[in-house]
Amino acid sequence: MSVYLLCLVLFCVGLYCILRKRNVIKIIVGVVIAEYAVNLFLALVAYRFEGRAPIFSPDQKILNMVDALPQALVLTAIVISLATTALLVGIAMRIYEKYGTFDITKIKELKG
Amino acid sequence: MSKEHESGMSVIVKTITRLTVGLIFLFGIYILVHGHVSPGGGFAGGVIIALSFVHLMLAYGKEVSFKKLPRAVVHFFESFGALMFLGIALLGFTSGYFFINFISKGQPFKLFSAGIIPLCNIAISLKVGAGLFAIFLALVLLKFEAEKRK
Repeated sequence: MSVYLLCLVLFCVGLYCILRKRNVIKIIVGVVIAEYAVNLFLALVAYRFEGRAPIFSPDQKILNMVDALPQALVLTAIVISLATTALLVGIAMRIYEKYGTFDITKIKELKG
Repeated sequence: MSKEHESGMSVIVKTITRLTVGLIFLFGIYILVHGHVSPGGGFAGGVIIALSFVHLMLAYGKEVSFKKLPRAVVHFFESFGALMFLGIALLGFTSGYFFINFISKGQPFKLFSAGIIPLCNIAISLKVGAGLFAIFLALVLLKFEAEKRK
């Protein structure tokens, strides 16, 4: 149970970073931390105590295996988070090019 | 000092990169071709292969990396991976239905086994590796264009 709460704490760290920080790069880092907290939570939900990955091997019997479905889900989520992070970094670079700053409070001309 | 030492990072970083970049590439290929018998597969192998080129670009600057892998080649491999995956799936119609495993399965737990799955892994790794490197290239070129405009 405590590991799930620690996942929640990690997610809250990411959320704090998104809401409170003013640098665009730090906001992107916060988004990445929140994504990884969710991925870690999904992988932990699937974990069984002393289990191993359900991969068929020639000389080993699998007695206690972890659930493989959330791991496949997390793999897909990692790919999507990679794409969204690349998009966010691209937008941040265009913001820096246009306004010359990463500070979101100094970006005044939001129109046009 | 040859001409390729003028741009990029320091000599220490370049020497270490020259020693390790081939090993990283080889490890990516190992992960890729053993994808059907052990953990790993197309996505992980493709990411490691792309990271070897990213490593090269970070250490040596963009000219050396472009000489090794030009942009047109990256775009070609990215499209070729997707089309190869689709082609393997469509070849299943020759002996039944979409995505049927039409090659002989071979001995289990051997390297040459599992029919079309290693070929699908190779197609996925081409797509993922070229795509990831293309994202990195796009960010680098955006940075250089922004610096040129100033």
